[in-house]
Amino acid sequence: MFAHNFKYTLKTLIRSKELIFWTFAFPLILATFFYMAFSNISKSEKLDIIDIAIINNNEFKGNEVYKNAFDKLSDKENKDRLFKITYTNEDKAKQLLEDDKIIGFLKLEDGNPRITINKNGIDQTVFKYATEEISQTSDMVKNLSEEEIKKELISGNINIDYNSIYQNVDEMIENSKTNLKDVSNKNLDYVMIEFYTLIAMTCLYGGILSMVTINQSLANMSSKGKRVSISPTNKKTIILSSVLASYLVQIAGLSLLFLYTIFVLKVNYGSNIPLIILLSLVGSLAGLSLGIFIAVVLKSNEKAKTGILIATTMLGCFFAGMFGITMKYITDKNIPFVNKINPVNMITDGFYSLYYYDTLNRYWINVISLLIFSFILILISFAGLRRQKYDSI
Amino acid sequence: MTVFKTFLKILNKNKFIVIMYTAILLIFGAANMQTSENSMSYIPEKPDVIIVNNDNDQGITKDLIKYIKKNSNLINITGEDKINDALFYREANYIIYIPKNYSEDFMTGKNPQIKVKNAGDYEAALAEMIVSRYTKVAATYQKSIKNENELIKKTNETLSKEAKIKTVSKIDSTSLEKAAYYFNFESYSLLACLIYVICLILSTFNDDKIRKRTIISSTDYKKNNRILLLSNCLYALVVWLLYLVVSFILIGKIMFTAYGLIYAINSLLFTICASSIAFLVGNIVKNKNTINGIVNVIALGSSFLCGAFVPQTYLPKAVLNIAHILPTYYYIKTNNDLSSLEIINFETLKPLFTNMIVLIIFTLIFIILTNIITKSKRKIG
Repeated sequence: MFAHNFKYTLKTLIRSKELIFWTFAFPLILATFFYMAFSNISKSEKLDIIDIAIINNNEFKGNEVYKNAFDKLSDKENKDRLFKITYTNEDKAKQLLEDDKIIGFLKLEDGNPRITINKNGIDQTVFKYATEEISQTSDMVKNLSEEEIKKELISGNINIDYNSIYQNVDEMIENSKTNLKDVSNKNLDYVMIEFYTLIAMTCLYGGILSMVTINQSLANMSSKGKRVSISPTNKKTIILSSVLASYLVQIAGLSLLFLYTIFVLKVNYGSNIPLIILLSLVGSLAGLSLGIFIAVVLKSNEKAKTGILIATTMLGCFFAGMFGITMKYITDKNIPFVNKINPVNMITDGFYSLYYYDTLNRYWINVISLLIFSFILILISFAGLRRQKYDSI
Repeated sequence: MTVFKTFLKILNKNKFIVIMYTAILLIFGAANMQTSENSMSYIPEKPDVIIVNNDNDQGITKDLIKYIKKNSNLINITGEDKINDALFYREANYIIYIPKNYSEDFMTGKNPQIKVKNAGDYEAALAEMIVSRYTKVAATYQKSIKNENELIKKTNETLSKEAKIKTVSKIDSTSLEKAAYYFNFESYSLLACLIYVICLILSTFNDDKIRKRTIISSTDYKKNNRILLLSNCLYALVVWLLYLVVSFILIGKIMFTAYGLIYAINSLLFTICASSIAFLVGNIVKNKNTINGIVNVIALGSSFLCGAFVPQTYLPKAVLNIAHILPTYYYIKTNNDLSSLEIINFETLKPLFTNMIVLIIFTLIFIILTNIITKSKRKIG
């Protein structure tokens, strides 16, 4: 009987176009959209070459410090290249600025740099910083050379070699490197969270499958349920085989999504494959138990049950960051309780900790939370399923 | 009247959908409106920085922190896990770990190493500029100045050389960008609301049994269709007006200018286009259960591809090229172009008009397609 029911549940599930759309196709479509929309975000976070203009007046032409520094900053060979510079007159620069061809222009006036921009932004600030750095360096050259010359004069040296002093000072500045060491984790692509929430959503959407199968064995939900209920088969066998079949379909859908995101969209789930599989299995179990729970506990028609399952999942997705990754962070930080009981977040956070963290503590907490979540829901559902009697249906 | 009443009945049953999409628009629209700064003068961008100071708060360490504080937003988070989370979700762009005995080691010329964590974005690059600028200037002076206080004084003197900056913009670009964001997002809500409800209504009226009954009834079928069309248009207009009212509340002042007028006209054109899409889909779809799936695919698809959620400038070129075949692309392009327009006159508005004409052409194509399809479907076997 187990095998018989298992086989036919499997067949019914796979042949239902609507179910397959929501559990198989919809996540794939969403993944594609996410990929198209977000694939450039992490790249565009990097600093681009900034288009600027410099007023090519006599003062600029005569100022070696500025000329050399900007030459260096716009050198195509330089890997730290910041700017693409147009040297022009003031009227043309204004026109370029108006046409949004450049983000701002620089004019040297009485030894002071003046920058003109037309809106605020990071590029504009970088432009200002780079310019300031040049004027600060030239200030340092001035100060240090004066100091050196003073020293020479005090020591009674009349034949001062100005050139060598400038050279020494230049070298001194050149040699004072800042000593920063980047120790950040390289896995910092927060767009990944979107894909993790998608996996989590698929796990929970899978609950629709188990819900449908349970509905089919409930006497008050369908005529098939009535027939099953009066048959002399053990109810445990029926329920277990149906649920197992739905779990199998669920896993199939999830595997498809994994294969698609890993091989076609190149999503990074971290490198620990057994733990990724474990998390997906446990996550699917959470979806399955949510489906059973809603099917058993709610006494309403199938449409309402589906609506509630989808609404719950979507609400969970909202707090887990599907519609704005920051939402997950805000929730984690300010109302951690919500995300502690949110299965979508447990799955998302599990993947996040595999991707970003070196230790596994956080991962195991999420896996155990998911198991507890599933266990409680299944326990309540089984209590509800036992010894059902109907006076009239 | 009977037709209109039925229309209202079905609409009333599905009012939840309209409310839901309006709520989504409100939440996302409002979330984006929060940080309102006047952008007419220069405001430097400030990166978000966390400093973990393992040294005593004195001497060069104290001054370095003071300098970073002046040029960035210091965020107060303690605990390594929380700091890591903050970096991942970009609450902080840059984390600076000042080592033990930093100021002493610095004064003896060791140039001690500072460990940093970097989110790899624009703001992080800026933060790095700030830190390296200070340490470079201080390290240079350290070679000739041995007194810590004098060193700090000299360093600050040099660092106070700032470039003068002037903003020449005549428009309030921040508010305009916010308006563009709102109207871009509106395309999603409009599409979803209109397609869902109009499809549902059409498929109800197109149900074989109901159609047979209406055809044999004494009412002229042309009148019937006319009322149905008018009520759908009325519904679309009401949704458009509702979203326009919301935009007045959320965006405010700028909506009362010529910019606001063009945003409104553009969204009206898009509303009409969306209704024509809804008509087309409603006439193709037979099964009510599939409507939900179709709405999601069309509304989410065009919103993701055309830049309603993620700005068009962030989208890959290939995606934008595909988006050219969708009407939403032209609607959103008009909104974006408008937000960076300095002067409004016929010449500058020309590209915007072109987009609007493309939108109208799309509408016409959808209407023609609908006519072809309904014509072939008129006979009931």
